[in-house]
Formats: sequence, C-alpha cells, structure tokens
Amino acid sequence: MMADRLTFESVNCGDMLPEVKQHNTQELTWQHAVASLDYNPVHTNPEWCKTAQVFGLPVTVMHGNQTMSLMATVITNWAYPVGGRLKRMEVKLIKPVPIGSICTYGAVVTEKHPIGKGKDFVALDLWAMDEGGENVAVGTAQVTLP
Amino acid sequence: MGYLEEMAKYQKTEKQKIFGADFLEREQIDDYEFWDEIEIGKETVVPLKFEVKAEDMMAYAEGVPDDNPVFYDEEYARKCGHDGLVAHPLFGTQVAFFLLRKGHGSWIRTPGARNPGQILEWYDPIRVGDVLTVKLTGYDKWVKRGKYYMRYLTETYDQNGTLKGRGYATLILPKSREDVLKFVKGEHALEA
Repeated sequence: MMADRLTFESVNCGDMLPEVKQHNTQELTWQHAVASLDYNPVHTNPEWCKTAQVFGLPVTVMHGNQTMSLMATVITNWAYPVGGRLKRMEVKLIKPVPIGSICTYGAVVTEKHPIGKGKDFVALDLWAMDEGGENVAVGTAQVTLP
Repeated sequence: MGYLEEMAKYQKTEKQKIFGADFLEREQIDDYEFWDEIEIGKETVVPLKFEVKAEDMMAYAEGVPDDNPVFYDEEYARKCGHDGLVAHPLFGTQVAFFLLRKGHGSWIRTPGARNPGQILEWYDPIRVGDVLTVKLTGYDKWVKRGKYYMRYLTETYDQNGTLKGRGYATLILPKSREDVLKFVKGEHALEA
C-alpha cells in the first residue's frame, strides 16, 4: 500500500503504479503525428499501408514513441505531481500496435537507490499490454523522488 | 477528406503549421541518407535550432494525450516542485523530427523505417525559452535475419551548452535509396 504523499521513503519495492488504458484510434494517432511531427505514412496513411505493409500488416500502426509516451505517462502521473523526474528509460518495442488496439500501460517499483537527498531514485519495470494480454512493449525506468 | 487534411485540423502551433506533413513527397528523398550510406562514428551538429515555446511543449502533451497539469500550468508545476512548466519526457521526439530533415539523421523520417526500441536519459529539464541544438553520432549498423539495423546517439544541448538529454535509438531501415523509393510508391521493400 502506498502512502498518501509520495516520497522516496514512502515507496516500497513491489508498489504498482496506477495503470493507464487507451483505446487507440486513427484520430489519436493523427494527433500524435502532429504533436511529434512524425508523419511517417505507416502511422498516418491507411491507403498506403494496404500495399506497403511495412510490418506485414495492411493497416496503420501506432508510433513507437506514442507507446513510449504512454509508458512515460504512467510515471509522470505518479511522480511529477510531487516533483519527481524521469532520469532514464529503456524500452523494447516488441510488436506493432494496429490502430484500434486497446492497450494498458503499467509499472512496478523494483529497486530503491538511496543515493542522497535530491538524488534518491527508484527503478521500475514498465510494460504496455494489448487487449489479448500480450506485451507490445517492455522496459525499465529510473525516477528521482523527493 | 484525405489523411493530410484530417491531420491539418490538429495543427495549431507555429512549428506545426510550417512543417511539411507529407513524408511521401518525392523531392525530399534526394536529401536523405540511406542505410548503405551511413558512416558510423561520424558526428554531426544539426545546423537548425529549436526555440522552445510553451505551445510546443503543451502540444506534445496534448498529442500523447496526457492531461497532467504540470504540462500546462506553470504555477501548478512550481507548486509541485518543478522550476517551471514541464515538458513531457518524450517531447524530444518533436525536437528531433523538427531538426532532422536532411542528411545525417534523416533516417527517422524514412518511409519503411521501424522502431524496435530506445534508451533515453534526461539530465536537465527542457524549459520554455531554451534554444536547442542536436548532435548526432552514427553509433552502429548491422544486418540480422535479413534486416538492416542502425543505432545512433542523439545529444541535445541548450543555448548555454548544457546537455539536456541523450538518446540511443535503434531503427530497422530499408537498405538503399531504391528500396526507399519503392516504399514512397507504396510498394513493400523489406527483405524480412
């Protein structure tokens, strides 16, 4: 059980962060394309994808960095309201995420690093899972906490 | 309505309005660097600069979408312990795509490119008013199971020379100009 006020001291290994769930749509990925300036047609152009099939699929897929952004959002929702900061994130994108997928993004605290005030950080395992229960991405992160 | 018109509805910031959204425009391919041309070890400081505006940072968070007020409300962010409006951690994606349009680094725009993973490290917060430059280093390239991989290092600096962050990105790319041109025409051009 996590304390009300998140601090480095209050966090325990095994603490699960509140999950984020998103039903991705073409509109959301178009918005992400505009926000990131990544207009690659594999994400934005359904007609092109029918023949180009970059991932062997005739449909558009989410941006890898859109998936990573939502994985990061799990952390920012948790740590940024108390002044926490992401310091490192490593993500392996395992499989493409077709538009229309419903994915859940989560994280669990795995390590505590008591380095010193202002430098204390925790390590976390991250995942993004599709509606079939398969991981589409996994990773790790380090987050400083007050 | 075509896909470009659909996306135009969401273009609000100054940078979004001037940035070319058609990555299939044939002429831009002439300025790209292709997998078989990439020089490993070469360092490039991208000549363009990215002046960070609040609208840029907020637009990225909106496009995640992430409604955390630390990304939109400077006063709230300061109460939370930050030193000003906060950029979403993946905001560097917008910076990279804005700056890497030609030559070394243009790989990220290549039709047919795939993103199998990244390592990102943040050292100093990006703040409104920062003027960012990017240094790129081709780090490695290899062939595995018929796929053409490359890894590059991106280092982002502000106007004072402070290192803001570092990213190691891996891409799977079409091998050559000819393969990219096939993708531009909507043909599949990957060996695996």
